[in-house]
Amino acid sequence: MTTEGAAGARLRTMVRSSAFTLAASYVALGVLALILFAAPLWYGWQVTISEGRAEIMQEDAERLTSVFRRVGAPGLKAFIDARVGLQIADERMLLLTDPAFTPMAGNLPAWPAGLAARAGTYTLPIALGGRQTRAVVVIGDLPGGYHLLVGRDLARFTPLTTGFWYGLAAAIGILIMVGIAGGLMLRRALLSRIHTIGRSALAIIDGDLRRRLPTRTTGDELDALASTINRMLDQIEQLFDGIRNVSDSIAHDLRTPLAELRSRLEELSLTRPSGEETFAEIDAAVVDVDRVIRIFNALLRLAEIDAGLRRSGFVEFDAASVLEEAVEFYLPAAELRGVRLEFRDVGPVPLLGDPLLLAQAVGNLIDNALKYARANGVVQVGIERRADGRTVLAVADDGPGIGDAEKPKAAERFYRGESSRGSPGVGLGLSLVQSVARLHGGRLELLDNHPGLRAQISLEPRPAQTAAKGPVPFAAPVVPPAGLPVSEGTAAASPT
Amino acid sequence: MKLLVVEDNERVARFLLKGLKEAGHTADHADNARDGMFHAAGERYDVILMDRMLPGDIDGLGIIAALRQAGNRTPILILSALSDVDERIRGLKSGGDDYLTKPFAFGELLARLDALARRSQGSQTVTSLEVGDLRVDLLSRKAVRGSRSIVLQPREFKLLEYLMRHADQVVTRTMLLENVWDYHFDPQTNVVDVHVSKLRQKIDLDSERPLLRTVRNAGYMLTAHDD
Repeated sequence: MTTEGAAGARLRTMVRSSAFTLAASYVALGVLALILFAAPLWYGWQVTISEGRAEIMQEDAERLTSVFRRVGAPGLKAFIDARVGLQIADERMLLLTDPAFTPMAGNLPAWPAGLAARAGTYTLPIALGGRQTRAVVVIGDLPGGYHLLVGRDLARFTPLTTGFWYGLAAAIGILIMVGIAGGLMLRRALLSRIHTIGRSALAIIDGDLRRRLPTRTTGDELDALASTINRMLDQIEQLFDGIRNVSDSIAHDLRTPLAELRSRLEELSLTRPSGEETFAEIDAAVVDVDRVIRIFNALLRLAEIDAGLRRSGFVEFDAASVLEEAVEFYLPAAELRGVRLEFRDVGPVPLLGDPLLLAQAVGNLIDNALKYARANGVVQVGIERRADGRTVLAVADDGPGIGDAEKPKAAERFYRGESSRGSPGVGLGLSLVQSVARLHGGRLELLDNHPGLRAQISLEPRPAQTAAKGPVPFAAPVVPPAGLPVSEGTAAASPT
Repeated sequence: MKLLVVEDNERVARFLLKGLKEAGHTADHADNARDGMFHAAGERYDVILMDRMLPGDIDGLGIIAALRQAGNRTPILILSALSDVDERIRGLKSGGDDYLTKPFAFGELLARLDALARRSQGSQTVTSLEVGDLRVDLLSRKAVRGSRSIVLQPREFKLLEYLMRHADQVVTRTMLLENVWDYHFDPQTNVVDVHVSKLRQKIDLDSERPLLRTVRNAGYMLTAHDD
């Protein structure tokens, strides 16, 4: 690219930059305001001055005419001579001529060429004291064919007019310069912050997922944007960690049965035992493979749900009947364990979502609850729509529950609680519930049932399912209602 | 049964053909979409086993759609490594009759083949089913064993109806889960077994000849014959 082309490209980039556009629009607005201010002023000024000037000259002409009437032509001549003698500058013009336009008195050498002798006000170029200028003249009406001319040199006002225009031009010039300077500074300030953000983003792209965009305490729009992006990055990091956890878990949980399988087959091939023993070993191998396949399928299903692709298949359905069917499905298993499985029916609860996934999630919760419930215990399943619009699907048991320390870990993939060692399951049940809850815009909550565990899927009201989560960046500060604990800063500021 | 296997993976195809032959079926094999289409259009099969992913520009679903367009009503079982629910729905929508995700147990495949072949034969509507001295009236939804009437919950009735419609066939737990409860997921525990054993307690009393049998490593079978 040539230097000229590069410069052109840079100019184009600058012109396209939003800061430049902003500054340019402000300058244009400023100029427009200035013109809107100056134009009426200019007009009013012109009209007032020219009218005033004409009035003064007409009065002058009338006074001279009355002098003429009183004392005749010689008297007026003497009067004018006296006036001209007193006059210092040449800006006032006076001329008295006889009927043949021969000058009798005044400071004009001759009657201006081309000027009619009729009474009235005229503007015309005139030679005065050896220089060419423009003048306003009033022709007075004298009896007896005499002619009277009273005039004023307009050049006297020229500096004022020029001053006005120069002033206006200077004001516009300063406005444009300040605008360009401001635009450049704004652009530089914006660009430097955008470049900082861009550099952070590039670092994140290069794999530094812990990095965040810099935010300042000013809380302006750019900060709001940066913190929104940071929240997005938090979410991405969380998902990424999830994937990393999964691969760690796959490595651990799939490798173990695969290793067993491999050694079993290898041993079989080495020792070549009798037929009956061989078949027993093969059956055991198939069980190993089935376990691997189960884990594999569960992981795939989790990945599928987490990808959020199934949201496209959302339908409106009655969540209560899905729960009831799930309860009915697990009822014989509960009876077998001597556990009472109860469903509290509250009528239909319409929900937008995936009924099959919700059935599976609730099924997992019931399955867990049945595993941990006391002998002759109770597992209660319920659904309710809370006053705040949330829909809560709960499965509560009366078993040992989960300790507070274990709760956050319980939904992690492949996490198996201390008390579950030795019981069947691949450790993905609660992860699936959590993923399903998240897909439906809610979350899995593990609470104390005193005694036992109350696992509930808490779904936000529908409009909030699509809205951004967390605090809205531009929202007005929320005033805490009276009686609620408030932060120290707020308490100190309040008069009570 | 006469079967067509459309499968491009040589090892999988060999395994399938061998297993089907051992189970007493005869099977033709096509390893690409064109041959598959040619066979399917030219001969009558009881069931076609169609691999979802095939080399070339037409995949398994493309062949199925073309066959259905041409008026071919042969039952088709789709075999696929794509497991997610949307893929299953796409497979069934394109005209497939059942969908089995790889890897699968061979017993599961045989059971589903039987069910498919049976479905296409007995498509006429029936109002009552009979296995030995067990009789079910589908209209009044009543079950009778000999002279003893059996009280069943609605879901138990549905389970029994499915087993009777597939009498003398192996029915897997997954098939029961999909067809009786419409659940297409792994419920983690042996809930289906519990349902079946509850049903067994109602239809097979100690004094009676057992009809509902457990088939090891496969599932269940409702039959009046001794084997």
